This record gives sequence, structure tokens and C-alpha cells, in this order.
Amino acid sequence: MGVAGFILSPVIGFVIGIFFMGLFRIIMARIHWRYGPPLYQPVIDIIKLFLQKSVSHGVIFELGLLLSLAGSVVTLLFIPIGNICPLNISGGLLVVLYLMLLAPIGIALSGGSGSNPNISIGISRKMLLALSYEVPFLLIVLTLMFYYRTISLVNLVHFQRASSWGIVSLPLAGIAYFLILPAMLGIRPFDMVEAPQEISSGLKVEYSGKFLALYYIEHAFRRFIVIALFVNLFLGGAGEPFTFLLKMVIVFVLGVFINAVFPRFRIEQAIRFNWTWPTILALAGLIITYIWGGYG
Amino acid sequence: MSYPDIIFNNLLIVALGGAFLTYLLGKVSQNVRNGFAIFISSVLVLMVAGLHGYGKELVYARFFDHPLILRINNLSWLFAITITVLSTMSIIFSLSYMKDKTRLGLYYMMMLLVSTSMLGIVMSGDLISFYVFWEIMSWSIFVLVSYNKGPALAAGLKYIIISLAGSLCMLVGILSIYGNFGTFDISQIAGFIASAPRGYIVFILIMFCIAFGIKNGLMPLHVWVPSAYTESPSPFTALLSGMLAKMGTFGFLMIFYIMLGSRIFLYLGQGRLSFHYILCLLAGITIVIPNFIAVFQDDAKKLLAWSSIGQCGYIILGIAFGTSLGLAGGIFHFFNHAIFKALLFLAVGAVEFRTGGVRDLNSLGGLANKMPVTFIATLVGACGLIGIPLTNGFVSKWLIYKTLILNGSPFLAFAALIGTWGSLLAIYKLLHNMFLGQLSEKHKNIKSAPFSMRLPMVILCAVTIIFGILPGLGLNIINSIGISLGFESLGVNLWGIASETGTLNTINIFAAIIVLVFIVYIIFRTGGKSVLVSQDNSYAAGAYVPADKYHYTVDFYNPFYTMVKPWLKDRIDQFYVWIGKISEKLAEFVRRMYTGDLGNYVIYIMLFLAVLICVQLIWRPW
Repeated sequence: MGVAGFILSPVIGFVIGIFFMGLFRIIMARIHWRYGPPLYQPVIDIIKLFLQKSVSHGVIFELGLLLSLAGSVVTLLFIPIGNICPLNISGGLLVVLYLMLLAPIGIALSGGSGSNPNISIGISRKMLLALSYEVPFLLIVLTLMFYYRTISLVNLVHFQRASSWGIVSLPLAGIAYFLILPAMLGIRPFDMVEAPQEISSGLKVEYSGKFLALYYIEHAFRRFIVIALFVNLFLGGAGEPFTFLLKMVIVFVLGVFINAVFPRFRIEQAIRFNWTWPTILALAGLIITYIWGGYG
Repeated sequence: MSYPDIIFNNLLIVALGGAFLTYLLGKVSQNVRNGFAIFISSVLVLMVAGLHGYGKELVYARFFDHPLILRINNLSWLFAITITVLSTMSIIFSLSYMKDKTRLGLYYMMMLLVSTSMLGIVMSGDLISFYVFWEIMSWSIFVLVSYNKGPALAAGLKYIIISLAGSLCMLVGILSIYGNFGTFDISQIAGFIASAPRGYIVFILIMFCIAFGIKNGLMPLHVWVPSAYTESPSPFTALLSGMLAKMGTFGFLMIFYIMLGSRIFLYLGQGRLSFHYILCLLAGITIVIPNFIAVFQDDAKKLLAWSSIGQCGYIILGIAFGTSLGLAGGIFHFFNHAIFKALLFLAVGAVEFRTGGVRDLNSLGGLANKMPVTFIATLVGACGLIGIPLTNGFVSKWLIYKTLILNGSPFLAFAALIGTWGSLLAIYKLLHNMFLGQLSEKHKNIKSAPFSMRLPMVILCAVTIIFGILPGLGLNIINSIGISLGFESLGVNLWGIASETGTLNTINIFAAIIVLVFIVYIIFRTGGKSVLVSQDNSYAAGAYVPADKYHYTVDFYNPFYTMVKPWLKDRIDQFYVWIGKISEKLAEFVRRMYTGDLGNYVIYIMLFLAVLICVQLIWRPW
């Protein structure tokens, strides 16, 4: 793909991420027996917010947000979308794991300097939630990397396309990943980080105008990355972007269904949940893989 | 004689002489002494830098018939340059930090003596010199840890007791080696030990590993670390965590790969029960538990101390795992950790200095705008600690993870990866509770850190980032160390590591992040205007926000803490305290035998002789 990938990849991420936001609202509305906003409502919202006057809390407040958005887009450059993967030779899945930290750290810095108690509570919850889902997530990722004996995301996709999908070869890890997917996406029952009724939306309470717009865009990218990673790791990726995006939409819609029917967990409940079933499944998957040996 | 020869011959003389001269100059004038301490430590940096790529052995004295040897090679050089640079940084930092303290002559002399002894350790070619320098270092640390008196004295005592136990173990090992092979020369021992029985080698290894493990804070030998790091003066803590603890790392490298060699070391025992794998497991435990204990600390330096123990786990894991990637990762992480942890301790020291000794994370906050350089230093150090790409910590951790995964140890890799989350939670708490959030009224007039504090922090920041973007600067030397220790070469270039399964290219990541931050910034600038508001002007859902500190910092991770609290008991520390009590009781019992009555002593002697006679009659050993 060459240079075109560097432009194509963020554009796809942006468009699909925003599309997911619209889709999310429509599906939720239909489940609630409402009509819901039009699909392009998030676009209108973002443009409107972008042009509005806003309130800033200083340099760190602004730079942190910029860093987090840039971090999300950089992460996207490492993730294959079908055959588009501009930075596929620069370190593999381990780099992705660490680049995925840039966005939350940027947001946490920006929010932290917002000096609002609600933000601090939101960050504390975000960190703990991340810790709780990282335990099974790392086990899952290690299972895959150990099974296929590679740390390259592109190779993982190649191997799956050559044999069978990850979810067939490693069913326990796949199920565990699906169980923590709502937590990684930050949707119910794991939306305590942004609980609007308790801590006035937590992390984003001080964002207004263009800050809020950038936050939404970052959020869209982050959702895209999490789902894209799932498709690449367990649903065999794809040879070209279209199939890939189709798989992503299916996963996302399943996630929205979960979101629609569950009430919110408290943070302790979330930690306890993530450290029981997903962790047990992921650990069992890793132990089985460890005993039976790897692929090929 | 060429220049490197002259430098090498005089290095330790200059270091030692400089240390004592500093003390004497202090009697003349305070400023002259401070200037001279900086001068001599900078001279040492230059001298060591001049030895780059130089290898030599020098017999400097004789102990009875045994030559005492100094030698230098790439491994020693890497340690030596880190020692001298860090010690210069902490001495510069000390200028303002220690300004109002007393007994400064002693302080500066000990700081220089500590670096001299470390230089001696990394350059000794025989076990006698090694042990002597090791003891000079151990006792100098004691003096500096307990410099502040009060609780520091208790911390120092705890340290020196545990450290002495380690030194004695090492002494047993050294004497046993001498008894068997009749030499102290490390390269000669390396020749003899190959034919020694495996059981004997393991015994020697355990003796040395106790000594090195104690210095390095390897679990379960780490108990002295938290109190000693917390109570010592901050510039010295930077050196203590950055370099002095790493002398254990050097010891491990020396005994594993120079004295034994990888051919023997990696094949002691079978499969999962081999010596190096058990050490890897201990290192894995050392990564996970301390990094999560750090999350619950409220004292900034104690938090960093626990985190240091955890990071040393990565170093030992990499070294003990025994692949060329692991060794490179371990050595590189030693260097990186020395840099970024020293940076963090200095930054905490700067905050401590400006706020009048406050280290309690619950009572600080909002200092970022008041002390911007210190904040950036902490941020960069934190990124290095977590291992965010573009800081040096990332590269070394990447190497360790990669070898763990590809060489079939996913559980150790899990320990290493989850340990990162412990350090992320802990260091974010430090960053947030010190620098972000609301500034309290009493800190409204705080000034930025003085220049002599900012300079070392800025330099260390720059090193952290440069080695993150161009890791080849360090990895080239480390690669040559690996080759000289008998490992295969890595495909190192200036900006990463090339190999068939997964290449690391930090330049790509750097370019991508820079370009994207720029683009995002342009987009950001085109948006609507924003107004800067004060910290009190924030949205609290209709509630009134008090003017002072109304901020969520106390019990930052409370939900998590209440969950794990039942399991948080320091059983290891309790165990050592129990041993202490038992030996106290034993000593008490022994003391009672000394009644002071001559008749009793005669009875003891008679009883002892009677026992000896019985033994002789029954078993006839003599």
C-alpha cells in the first residue's frame, strides 16, 4: 500500500468510528422503542462543538488531549485493516499494547489538570477498570503470541488465514476476550468511568467546545481500535478492508446489545467480574496451549 | 604509555584522593569544597569516557602471594560511566538540597567515596579487591542512609544488619573458592570451576546470590529497601536506587557469565528445576508483588522505593533468562532504570525541598504550574518507568518480553507485563497527587526548583528520551558485551533491533507521533476560541466548590485497596523480625551462662571435656 496507507488508515478509522457512534444511538433507540437521531447526528454534533467557544484549564489540559488523540491514531497505524497496515514492520503487537497506553495517559493528564473532583474519581475508576480487564487481556494476547510463536500482528493474521480463525483454534481465549470487550469499549455494564448520573460524566466533565469534539473523536478511534484488534486476533482479520469492516460491524452490534440490557456495575463489581470468569477462561486457555504446544 | 593507560592507572587514585581532599577543603571554605566535589566528579566522568572501548588488566598490589588485579572491559565501562554520570548529577543536585544541613564535609566525602567504591567493584579482577570495595560501599551506604538521624538511623541499622548477612555469605563463598582452587583471580577461577562438581557450583552460586540479591532487592531479600530509600537524603536516594542497588546486578553478571559462563550456568539442573529458571521465577515474583504494593503507598519516596524493587525484577529476569535478547534487555534495563529512577527521586527531592519536606501524597497537588520543569521531569521519568514508546524503558522491556514469549515462557511474560500495570497505577498516583488537581492555599507562593536542581533533571530527561528514540546508542555497547560473554549477536542499528520475527523501529514511531501531534494541533487551532479559567471555576453539578483543596487524592485507589486489603500482610518482614527475636532470645540465653562465678566456668569446662571424651570413646573421630 505504501504511503497511501498512512492517510487511508486514519480516515477509515475516523469515518467508521463516527459511524459506530451513530449506529450505537440508533440501535439503542430501537431497543428502547424510540425512533432515535439520524445516523449522521454525531457529525453534526462534532462540527457544532468544534465551532463553539470553550473553556480551558491551561497548557497540560490542552496538550494531554492532543497527545491522547495522536496516540490513538498512531496505534491505528500499527493495526492491519484488511491489507492496509502502514507501520506493520515496526515492533508488532507488543508495541500496540504499549501505544494503547498513550491515549488513556494523555486523557488522564489532561483531566487531572482540570482540577475537578469528578475527573479525579473518573480517572481512578478508569485506571482500576483498565487494570481489571488488562489481566485477562494480557493472558489472551500471550496465549495467541505463544501459540503462533510470533509477536507480529500481521503474521498472526496470516497464520489464521492459512489455517483456522483464532476463535476456533483458541476458543477459551476468544470467549474471554468477548467477555471483556464491553469493559474495553467502556459501555454498560462497565460505564462507571463516565457514569453521568453519579460523577457528571467523570473524565469529560470539564471539556467543552472543541475539547469535547476532540474527546469524541478520540473515543471513536479508541472503539475502532479495540474492535479491530478483536477481529484481527480472533476473527482471522481479512484480505481486504471491506470484509474486515463487516466483521467489525457484527462485533460492534453484539456489543451494543449487551450495552442495552445490563445495568451499571460498581467498580468493585467490575474488578471482581473481570478477575473471575474472563481470567479463569483466559488462564485455562493459556495453560492448555502451554501444555499442548504451539501452532505448526 | 598511551592516554587510556595513564587514565586507567590513575582513575581510582584520583577518585579516592578527591574524596578525602573534599573533606579537607571543607575545613577551609564551604564553597570551595562544593566546587571541588563537582569538579572531581566531572573529571571522573571525563576519565571514564576516555576509556571507551579500552580493555586491560593491571596488577596493582600483592596480598601475600596473590595478585590484586584491576581490569576494564566493555561491561565494566558501561557500569563505570553510569556510576560517574549519576554521581555527578546527584552531587550537583545536592548543592541546594543539602544547603541548610550540617556535617556537609562528611556528606560530600561519603558521596565521592561511594562512587569510588563502586568503580572499584566494577573494575576488580580478583575476589579480594571485589570484597574489599564491596564492604567500603556497604558501610558508606550505611553512613549516608542514617545521615538524617531519627527514623533514618533505624532504617540504616536494618540495612546494615541485612547487608552484613549478605557479605558474610559472600565471604563464605570466596573462602570456599580459595580453599578449593587456591586462587582469587576471577579469570583463573573461571578456568578451574568448569570441572568442579555441579552441587558445589550451586552452593557457591547460592552464597553469592544471597549477597547480590540483598543489594539488588530481590524478593524475599528486599526488606531493607523501603525504609532505607525513604529515609535517606533524596540526592543520595537517586544514587542508591540508580546505581548502588545495581551493584547486585553487576555481581550477578560477573558470577553467572564471567566466572561460570553461560555454558555452565544455564545447565545447572533440569528443565523447570534448573537454577536459572528458579531465579527467573523469583524475579517474576519480584516484579509483580512490589509493583502492586507501590500502588498503595502514600509516601512519595516509599512508592518509588517499592517500584524500584519491582523494576530490579525486570533486570534480573532478563539476565537470568539467559538468551542474548534477554541479556541485552536486562543490561539495558539496568542502565535505563538507573537514569529514570534517579530522575524520579531527584524530582521528588525538588518538591520536598520547595514544600519544606512534604512527601505525603495526600497533602500535595496542583504543583505542575508552579514547578513546570520538575513536572516535566517526573512525567518523562514516569513514562520511562511505565515503558511508553519513545522513552528508554520501552526498548529494554520490549526486548525482555519478546524473548520471554518467543522462547516459551508465557507465564513469566505475563508477570512482566502485568507488573507494568502496577507501575502505571502507582506512578500515575504520584504524578496526579503531586502535580495535577487543585493547588492548596499554602502552596500558592511556591517557587520553581533552583537551577542546580533543574540542571541534573533536564540532563537525565534528555538521556531518557534520546535512548528511547535512538536505543542503538546503548545497545551497540551492550551487544558487544553480549558477544564477549559468548552470546550470539543481535541485529542492532541506531534506531532499533532487526530480526526475522518482529522488528523494532523507534524512529518510525517517533516520526509518526510527532507528525500526528502536529496535525492534531493544527486541527485544534482551527476550532473555536477557548478562554483560560482558574481552577476554582469548574463544573460541580450545581454543588459549591470550596476555594482551597477540594480534590480526590486521599485513598486514590480505595475500591481496589478495600478488595485486596485482607491479603496485604508483610509476612516476609514479619519472618525476619521473628528471626531477630529468636536470635535475641538465644543471645540472652548465652549471656546467662556467664554468671561471673569462677566455679561455674570450671564446671562448664569439665562438662565440655566430658562430652569430648564421650564422643571420642563412642565414634572415635580423632
